[in-house]
Amino acid sequence: MTMSDRTISVLEGNNFVVSDLRGDIDASPTEPLGLFAWDTRFLSRWLLTVDGQRPNVLSTDDLDYFYVQFFLVPGTGTIYVDADLSIIRKRAVGNGFHEDLTILNHKDQPVDLKVRIEAAADFADLFEVKDALKKKGEFYHRIENDRLVLGYRREKFTRETLIAASSRADIDEHGLSFQVHIEPHGEWTTCLEVVTGLGGFGEYHQETTYGHGDQRARSNVKMNLKKAGEAIPRLSSDWPSLQVTYGRSIIDLVALRFYPMTLPGHALPAAGLPWFMTLFGRDSMIASYQALPFSSNLAIATLRALAQRQGTRIDDFRDEEPGKILHEARFGEMTAFEERPHSPYYGAADVTPFFLILLDEVERWTGNAELVRQLELEARAALRWIDEYGDRNGDGYVEYSRRNKETGLENQCWKDSWNSILFADGTLSRMPRATCEIQGYVYDAKVRSARLAREFWHDPALADRLEKEAAELKRRFNQDFWLKDREFFALAIDGDGRKVDSLTSNIGHLLWSGIVDEDKAEAVVRHLMGPRLYSGWGVRTMAEGEGGYNPIGYHVGTVWPHDNSFIAMGLRRYGYREEAARVAMNMLEAATYFKGRLPEAFAGYPRELTEFPVEYPTACSPQAWASGAPLLLLRAILGLEADGDHLIVDPAIPSMLGRLELLDIPGRWGHIDAFGRGRVDTT
Amino acid sequence: MIDTAQAFFEQLAERGYEPLLHSISGTIQWKIQDAGNWFVVVKNGKLTTSRNMVQADCVCECSKEDFDRMVMGKQNPTTLYFQGKMKITGDLELAQVFQRLFPDESLSGGEQGKKESR
Repeated sequence: MTMSDRTISVLEGNNFVVSDLRGDIDASPTEPLGLFAWDTRFLSRWLLTVDGQRPNVLSTDDLDYFYVQFFLVPGTGTIYVDADLSIIRKRAVGNGFHEDLTILNHKDQPVDLKVRIEAAADFADLFEVKDALKKKGEFYHRIENDRLVLGYRREKFTRETLIAASSRADIDEHGLSFQVHIEPHGEWTTCLEVVTGLGGFGEYHQETTYGHGDQRARSNVKMNLKKAGEAIPRLSSDWPSLQVTYGRSIIDLVALRFYPMTLPGHALPAAGLPWFMTLFGRDSMIASYQALPFSSNLAIATLRALAQRQGTRIDDFRDEEPGKILHEARFGEMTAFEERPHSPYYGAADVTPFFLILLDEVERWTGNAELVRQLELEARAALRWIDEYGDRNGDGYVEYSRRNKETGLENQCWKDSWNSILFADGTLSRMPRATCEIQGYVYDAKVRSARLAREFWHDPALADRLEKEAAELKRRFNQDFWLKDREFFALAIDGDGRKVDSLTSNIGHLLWSGIVDEDKAEAVVRHLMGPRLYSGWGVRTMAEGEGGYNPIGYHVGTVWPHDNSFIAMGLRRYGYREEAARVAMNMLEAATYFKGRLPEAFAGYPRELTEFPVEYPTACSPQAWASGAPLLLLRAILGLEADGDHLIVDPAIPSMLGRLELLDIPGRWGHIDAFGRGRVDTT
Repeated sequence: MIDTAQAFFEQLAERGYEPLLHSISGTIQWKIQDAGNWFVVVKNGKLTTSRNMVQADCVCECSKEDFDRMVMGKQNPTTLYFQGKMKITGDLELAQVFQRLFPDESLSGGEQGKKESR
């Protein structure tokens, strides 16, 4: 769960509840509270009153990501006085939620109370939560079998919220009322069940997954990362903050698991809480890649779920093309009625090569040859997409330009805000855009796919062709994208054939992918670690001094943990061990300011100016690829690489960490320990 | 006038193998209102069709009009399902993968929905 100053979130799968610290939900366009499932708000109002007053909060305790307790006292309407009643709400989320409501009477006298839960559901699509759009369908309610059913219908699309209590309640269309009598020093308790119903869509849930007092789901037992059979490696170091960050990362990745209906029993990383609890091509694969040395199940489920939904046709609205891997899947009303293209939406040009990279990497770590064979046709279709659709103009590079001109994404790379691909003078480049890191991914994807073709698909001709194409791509890329006078790679080549000449973090991904000529690596590293790109906490998305630079601009100056984790791996790949250790250490230091939970991004201010990292004001925390970043940074400083049936350990550890141990790293080798002593001075 | 649903399943049966279905095995029942039932038995892409009742692993149910629109490329299968106009019960993976066969190019024509490379 996550707690901000005013709200608290608990979740399981794509069910989540955002409430205030009393446990109440009172949604407004500026306060997007509610019970959400499958991208729909099933409760927009959930208010507890005792004798007509809303309680005051004493404390709010998170016990697990899906479970929270609220300790309350009756509201007086004025100021706090000694309370003689305690009110406890315990809430567990899963297929809706289960709430245990208990009132304790501390007096010597019996009390009679009117307890009421006000409930309402606006069934807003996540896309419209902040816009308060007028709904196109009709609302209804019914009272049946001692439960209140709130419903919404648009043609045959129905969503229902079913609310029931375990003790006798007077039910009306706006909620449930209880006449409560409590003996001296006695207590009263009831369970409230809130169930989300999706007409004709998947399972129509009739009960929550929790019972009275449960902190453990009673059914639908989810795959647990911590479960036997996939133990997480144990970490220890002489720098205690590292254990905190490591533990936080693991717990957050567990919490962010999303269970696709088409893969029963499997979970993959959703992108972030609360607004991105869904399958994303890019975020789900990147977080899986980061987590691979620690848990391979996430990556396998991600690959399989994405393969199932691989594009097979040309569809302008969804930016779908044969062989393309999806960008984002959504399930709400606006998606259903094609007011948004997310069914699923395919507007991403980097994820298809990344799919191939991840498939190869999973095999290297796990030895799961079966998966490589099962996904052969999908992998071949992905390779065809790169050449036939990704390379739109036949120039040998993958470039993007959206088919969906109204609701599609303009930028189909990870820096997907509209103004991210800028020239050094701050002007916007033109479509279609071939960003540099995508070419790096394509290079790596072809090199890796050649290995898969030769070893698993028994197609040496394809392997030869891919290797030839990769070599040719590398040769041309190092000529065409290189800015001779500035000694770094252009961010992109735009639709007019111009080199987009801003200095950006994207060049670090080029090291990661291996497309950089050896003789150019030194200059690239110099820029990455120089004061214009390096803030002291990490590499900025765009260098200070560029026309578009803004230290609090989403993709034009902020520092992104996931970006830096890839850069650290890139530095290692080219032998820059000390620089990799420095990037890792500085980011791990930044994590200590966030109690081990790195935000999606933080401001690009110089470290010496602010002395602490300033969080970018984003609505999403935790974010999967930020949670995964410390894991990939650990891999970078331990120098972990899978090589045949061996795990190579080649540590270059920051001296601040002292002795670092990572025990029981799972893989095709069984379990191996990695350890080393910090010898790299990163201060 | 040709019956779209019938033509769709007959062509599918003639193909005998559909690479887009290589990853699935199971029986999919199409229950098309006013047009009856078709059963597609798939084993790693190899398939047979029949109109005789057999036990299905996945049942997809929709109107004839909506089915024809999917075949012709005028209706996306996923949003038809999301809208509640197609009911799917049983193994959702089978339905997820089977929807790749819509639209049927030989019946729909046109650039939208085209599956082959340009």
